[in-house]
Amino acid sequence: MVRYVARKAIGWLAMIIVATNATFFLASWFLDPRSNYRELRPVRTEDQIAHALAPYGLSPRWSVVHRWWYWLSGVVLHFDWGHSPTGVPVNSEIPRRALVSGQLILLGVVASVVIGVALGVYTASRQYSLADRATQTLSVVLFNVPTVVSALGLVLAAVWLNQRVGTTVLHVAGANTAGVDGTWATILDRANHLILPTVNLTLLGYVGWHLTQRSLLLDALGADFVRTARATGLTRTQAIRRHALRASLIPTATSVAFTIPAVFTGAIITETVFGWEGMGRYFTETIAKNDVDGVVAVAAFGAVATAVGAILSDVATVVLDPRVRVS
Amino acid sequence: MTSPTTPAGKRVLSVRDLTVTFQSERGPVEAVRGVDLDLYAGRTLALVGESGSGKSATATSIIGLLPPGARARGEVLLDGQELLGLDDRRMSAVRGRRVGMVFQDPLSALTPIFAVGRQVADAVRVHSKVSKQAAWRRAVELLDLVGIPRPQLRARDFPHQFSGGMRQRVVIALAIANDPDLIIADEPTTALDVTVQAQILEVLEVAKAETGAAVLLITHDLGVVAGHADEVAVMYAGRVVERAEVGELFATPAMPYTLGLLGSVPSPEATRRLPLVPIEGEPPAPSQRPAGCPFAPRCPLVRDDCRDKEPALTEIRQRHDVACVRAADVLGRRPEDVFARAEEPAVAPAPAAGPVLRVNGLGRTFPVTKGAVLRRRVGTLQAVSGVSFSIRAGETFCLVGESGSGKTTTLLEILRLRPPESGTVEVLGVDVAGLLPAPERRRLRQAVQIVMQDPQGALDPRLPVFELLAEPLRAAGYAAEATRDRVVEVLDLVGLPRDSLDRFPAAFSGGQRQRLTIARALATKPRLLVLDEPVSALDVSVQASVLNLLARLKSQLGLAYLVVAHDLAVVRHIADRIAVMYLGHIVETGGAEELFAQPRHPYTRALLSAVPIPDPERERSRERIVLRGEQRSAANLPAGCVFADRCQLRPTLATDLQELCGTRRPLLEQSGGTTVACHAV
Amino acid sequence: MTATLPTGSLDGPLDAPPGARVDVPPPLRLGRLRLYARRFARNRSAVVGVIIFVLLVAYSVLGGLFTPWDWSRQDFLALTQPPSGSHWFGTNQGGNDIYAQSVHGLQRSLVIALSVSVLTIVIAAVVGAGAAYLGGRVERWALALIHFLLVVPSFLILALVSNRVSGDWRVLIPLLTVFGWMFTARVIWSVSTSLRERDYVLLAEFMGVSRWRIVLRHIIPHLGALLIVNFTLGIVSTVLAETSLSFLGFGVKTPDVSLGSLLADGSGTITSAPWLFAFPAGLLVLLTVSVTLIGDGLRDALDPTSMVGGRA
Repeated sequence: MVRYVARKAIGWLAMIIVATNATFFLASWFLDPRSNYRELRPVRTEDQIAHALAPYGLSPRWSVVHRWWYWLSGVVLHFDWGHSPTGVPVNSEIPRRALVSGQLILLGVVASVVIGVALGVYTASRQYSLADRATQTLSVVLFNVPTVVSALGLVLAAVWLNQRVGTTVLHVAGANTAGVDGTWATILDRANHLILPTVNLTLLGYVGWHLTQRSLLLDALGADFVRTARATGLTRTQAIRRHALRASLIPTATSVAFTIPAVFTGAIITETVFGWEGMGRYFTETIAKNDVDGVVAVAAFGAVATAVGAILSDVATVVLDPRVRVS
Repeated sequence: MTSPTTPAGKRVLSVRDLTVTFQSERGPVEAVRGVDLDLYAGRTLALVGESGSGKSATATSIIGLLPPGARARGEVLLDGQELLGLDDRRMSAVRGRRVGMVFQDPLSALTPIFAVGRQVADAVRVHSKVSKQAAWRRAVELLDLVGIPRPQLRARDFPHQFSGGMRQRVVIALAIANDPDLIIADEPTTALDVTVQAQILEVLEVAKAETGAAVLLITHDLGVVAGHADEVAVMYAGRVVERAEVGELFATPAMPYTLGLLGSVPSPEATRRLPLVPIEGEPPAPSQRPAGCPFAPRCPLVRDDCRDKEPALTEIRQRHDVACVRAADVLGRRPEDVFARAEEPAVAPAPAAGPVLRVNGLGRTFPVTKGAVLRRRVGTLQAVSGVSFSIRAGETFCLVGESGSGKTTTLLEILRLRPPESGTVEVLGVDVAGLLPAPERRRLRQAVQIVMQDPQGALDPRLPVFELLAEPLRAAGYAAEATRDRVVEVLDLVGLPRDSLDRFPAAFSGGQRQRLTIARALATKPRLLVLDEPVSALDVSVQASVLNLLARLKSQLGLAYLVVAHDLAVVRHIADRIAVMYLGHIVETGGAEELFAQPRHPYTRALLSAVPIPDPERERSRERIVLRGEQRSAANLPAGCVFADRCQLRPTLATDLQELCGTRRPLLEQSGGTTVACHAV
Repeated sequence: MTATLPTGSLDGPLDAPPGARVDVPPPLRLGRLRLYARRFARNRSAVVGVIIFVLLVAYSVLGGLFTPWDWSRQDFLALTQPPSGSHWFGTNQGGNDIYAQSVHGLQRSLVIALSVSVLTIVIAAVVGAGAAYLGGRVERWALALIHFLLVVPSFLILALVSNRVSGDWRVLIPLLTVFGWMFTARVIWSVSTSLRERDYVLLAEFMGVSRWRIVLRHIIPHLGALLIVNFTLGIVSTVLAETSLSFLGFGVKTPDVSLGSLLADGSGTITSAPWLFAFPAGLLVLLTVSVTLIGDGLRDALDPTSMVGGRA
């Protein structure tokens, strides 16, 4: 099992390296760091601008390959992810933001998968019941609500709730409240801030899991081996639990990795709406500011998130499907 | 092993007036209508019927596994305990403990993610409180009992590491894990090869002996019934229409349907090839049963009163019940006395041209790859090696062998009409590997056509019959006018009404659809028809008429047939010459008469002996060779004879000859009436 | 190499003989279309979807006729006004009429969504079906490309590029197309590979029917339903992607408006001026839900095995 996962992990590492470097070239092509200086008054000459950018390895006088090499050696030798065009080190932004976004994405994915799969299993074993039809309708509608709309809708609802109650029950902005002290108070405060963004990501994410898990389990329920299991004396419920469920979870586990990019996109919008200083906000800011190094760092973060998800799903697959261990 | 006149054991199960109703789009449909059955300990009752007869629904309602939406009424008493109406929890105490079940398709019957030993151990632990270790030991014992080699080791393997036959053994182990009183086997060998079928039937006999259980054997194969049943119940359109001891039923059937079934089955032992005696028409759909006797529309002895009231099952002799008002007229008659035998086709003067098809040293390999991203070749699968034969006009040549023997690959290589990987293929004397002008290639294309096993899959469901039949003609460059004429012509040729032209394939029954695919294959006036399992997808009573049609067409049109079939009785009926294949090699070839009368190769002998004969006396008295083991993978062919590892003859040979079998591959040599590849004959 | 399995004796629990299929396609082409229409019409939610969608299209095309305000005109006497008689959906901070802006924004979103959907379905069909038929190396490379694009953070690249071209809505069409076809292509590829294996396709080959004729007569008709359904799915996913981009400021930018940029404008004043957010959001959800309902209805109507469509 360790060898299997290790082999997969090496593949994903390669994917991260390729994606990150490709993004560097793309970003260098599409973003122009000089524009940050062009609007400044007094007007700078091109020479001045180039001079100002040179210490950050962004000089337009260098070839793209030269800039790339400068950036790459910084990353590899010093784990220095470069600077913004105005000289803010990327490394000073990343750890805090990555932590914020990481917990959001992790919570969002875990909650989506758990809720979605649970709902799928529940409704599949009660096909065509009222609960099945109702949740399916709800899921189809939610599936079609844009992230923006759902996020803003949650904000509206929370504001209304806060006004009705008279105090701030749910925080609608930021990752934490300034000036909160003490371990427990900090944890509680952070947890409260996490609620709405996580709910938003979950609302969008769970639907896919619900619908696919439902149809996967329905397929498995009709499988011959479930009938065989019942013929040995298991009740329908036991046969579902011991045989159909586990078999139907395998394709779900393997597909977790492919949803991470979508969750990341959802996180970008969620962070924007809820005013979180995470990687998602960093993403919009760096693009707007023509910050090549920052964009590349965001891409690397996205790739790492995808890879972590993929490796987790590989581990889950190995645990669920003993055939992988054998062959 | 002849059956005693009175049942020896005690009555285990009694079914009374069982009726099963399914919900369909056209309202409720009765799949089973008032079935009565009795099963006795240590005895086998065979439930025989075609698709739609309700035999599987009967079995699944006994064990309480009907699909949701289906309802069973009546009485099912297991040792006096009523099973119908038990809730799932109480029924699960019966399933596996007192009733075990073996299903049709072993490939999908086992949970893919658990080791087989664990599945058997789980089955043990469902009903008895034993420790995990004890259950595992019992599982290994059971796997040993059903003939899994090295059970200690193999118990840890997963289902996908077993062959179909081995998986069916595991399913049997599951069924007998708790020493049941009743074993239900639903078409247990239908998906398996004949030699494996013989093994599995033997394992079932062992299981029966070990548990002393009653066995309900559901099958469509009268040969299996003849060999393994004590009593037979024949089902038609949801009812039991005849019930008797096996000997009595085969010797003196009293229901025209039973008689017809016996007449439409080709016997592997028949010496003269008379046309089969077909039953006209096809079984009625459950939603469209006629009033009165459901067999009346197909019955040659039908009277007016047959159409009014459905006759009840009544005893006409001791322990022989039949539901037919004309039973007395049927008793003692032979199929051909009652049913019209098809006209014997006039033997057409064979055109004296050269062979239509000549295959020489044909070989085909497939790479065995491993890994998902970077596929690396880890071996070579030698699917076909050195296959040679030729077919003349008016001749039927059969390739016989089990799955994996390379017969289908051989067909596809010929049909492709491209240069084969090795060897040569000549059609009408022209080597297909040569550089041919386009019209010449098209001529060859038209000369070779194929009829496939499954008529449903072979016809595009979105095209009406006219388009389907016109397609090959257009490809061959027929003009519109000529196309229309020819389409009508071939429709007449296969005996389909002309108003079929506007209908879609879904509107036809299985037998009619196979006629359509035959018509389509004949459209371009081919010289050679390749028939890939032409009747195996059809019901027994429908097979006969299609086989008769093929025989008529051959003599009428002077066609050559290249047939692949696994049913040796069918092969026996149609073949002029036969080649027996094993692991991609022809091991014996010769005239059908000679080969069936005096098979020389040990594999041919084993194969022929594994074919069940639909005659209880003969089937039970003849000596039978049951092969050990299974066909090995074509990915690692042995240096010597491909059959050496399973050969029943080899252990009896002198040491130096045994050595030779293991080291040098025998060549085909004339021996007696046939050509054989064996060192020992 | 085939398992010789007489399906005639596969005595399934329903015991229905092969001839007893309920959905027998009627002989005429027109008749079949009418049959599909009937099956579709029987699906109530699909009909509701069609009605909503038609109303939305009518609104986007004709809605401008009912208001004196143009989407770009500013009413400096009515800044941030709630809905009223003169401004039906209210106004924003700049005095733009939200009704007129919604009409325009919906038009933008619809045009983008429809054109991207058409383009992606064409590309997906060509790549998916092509990979399946050509097989071999072409197939492997096409699949590798699809998988790579599925894992790549395509949203980032979208944002990068569309930011550079600074808000020309026409550029969004090729952009969204380039990153929108992979999933559909994969679905079409997997269905096509199974079609390629069908007996009747093999048979047509053995009969000497030419390759393109096989594709035309035996493959495309079977993909038809799939293509139509994926076309509707494509509309939904394009609307969602365009909305997200425009919301973040990378898609359609001021002075032009789309539903996404309207949402972005409204998000800042969600408590003080909720109408800025509510109307575009409502239209957006109506649009995606109605298209999804249509798609579901089409799938059920075109799929002969579907039970939801009922008897026909």
